[in-house]
Amino acid sequence: MGLTARDVMDTRFFTLLPETTVAEAVKAFRRAGEELNRRVFGMMVTSPDGELLGMVSMYDILILMRPKHIHIWGEMHDIDVSGFMDECYLRAKSIPVGDLMTTDVITLTPDTHLLQIVDIMVRKHLRRIPVLDGGKVIGIVHISSVFFFLMER
Amino acid sequence: MAHAPMSVKDRKNVLSGLKVREAMRRIAVHLPESASVDEATRCAIKFKVSAILITGREYQALGVVSKTDLMCAYYAGLPLETPVSTIMRSPPLFCGMDDSLDAALDTMRSKGVHRLYVRGDDPDQAIGILAYPDIVGLLYRYCHKCEHNTLRTRKVPSIFNFSDTFKVRDVMNPSLLVFREEDILSSVMEGLSAHRIGAVLIRGRNNLPSGVVSKTDLIMAYRHGIPPTAEAATIMSSPVRSCDHNEQLVSAIQKMIFSDVHRFFVYRDNPDNIVGVLTLTDAARVRSGSCRACVSSRIRL
Repeated sequence: MGLTARDVMDTRFFTLLPETTVAEAVKAFRRAGEELNRRVFGMMVTSPDGELLGMVSMYDILILMRPKHIHIWGEMHDIDVSGFMDECYLRAKSIPVGDLMTTDVITLTPDTHLLQIVDIMVRKHLRRIPVLDGGKVIGIVHISSVFFFLMER
Repeated sequence: MAHAPMSVKDRKNVLSGLKVREAMRRIAVHLPESASVDEATRCAIKFKVSAILITGREYQALGVVSKTDLMCAYYAGLPLETPVSTIMRSPPLFCGMDDSLDAALDTMRSKGVHRLYVRGDDPDQAIGILAYPDIVGLLYRYCHKCEHNTLRTRKVPSIFNFSDTFKVRDVMNPSLLVFREEDILSSVMEGLSAHRIGAVLIRGRNNLPSGVVSKTDLIMAYRHGIPPTAEAATIMSSPVRSCDHNEQLVSAIQKMIFSDVHRFFVYRDNPDNIVGVLTLTDAARVRSGSCRACVSSRIRL
């Protein structure tokens, strides 16, 4: 049997609950980054019993932060927008991540072959993929783990 | 010496000669017909869009689900797992990239819709969207560059200075839909649907304005499992975002954009005396299209 997700997955991961607010998620990103000693760009959202519900990334949160009328005020160069981002953050911070998570998530099993993982990451432009066993999250495969595992053999 | 009476030229305005391609936007979000109503509500909240295009297997445009449709699904008690194809309006209304903006606006008015999808080379696919706010943005750009703009001759640095002739009261809509905190959400939805508006004012037991319930608030309530029999007070946004009816229009527009809201309630004398609603689209359209240069260009002596 060849190398599989089981060989490269990180079993130390952090998750959010769907009712976690954006403000709490931002703190969780920071905290997880410090504990893992690398930047955390997104997290899995799970039910309390570990069932995967979706994923939320910095990108998802930035989409929410983006001003609704940006296509109008982008034309209004003479408007003073100082303080605007603070307003955007104030509005976004109480939104639960369950309202903005991506639910169409591609997942792996522990037995997914490493080259299949490479193929999925390349075709779908994914940097991290959850590993599920019986519907529960047991790990996550990061592109960097796959890359160094393959290239430094 | 006698003057001949003024006559109005036929419908010349700042949009004359402009095409749809100059105002349209690319479609940021679409969902497959198999997507659930829950996914559509999440899209509407996350992307802050009023409608979502529903596409088929070959990305052909099949229909549209608007916030109003999502609100109706909530009202009807449809489960969030319901496929969007059940509630979408089909087919979407299209325009061409090289259609005139005037013609596109006429279609939007006559069909009573707020947006048109822009057809690409494949007649079944939508490559863009044209909505009122896009046209408002375009108006600003053209107004700013207009050679007849009075500011160019006055050497005044800001385009906003000539708008001091407009006050909020000149543009606001004086009709107002009001509910009470204890009214149930179903009643609020009936009101929004009957009056084709986006939000209602909520008054507290002391009869003072206490909040606003918009279609977005209702969609979020739908997602969060709040029953339509809940009281308006449970989901209303508070405090009421408002402005004085004597405020300069440009200042109100600026505040609306800054607050990321589409409407302000308008008060007279004090914030408890709400007398109308001002929407960003109406405000910006009036301000941009009514500059003296544009008005004069429509009049022939």
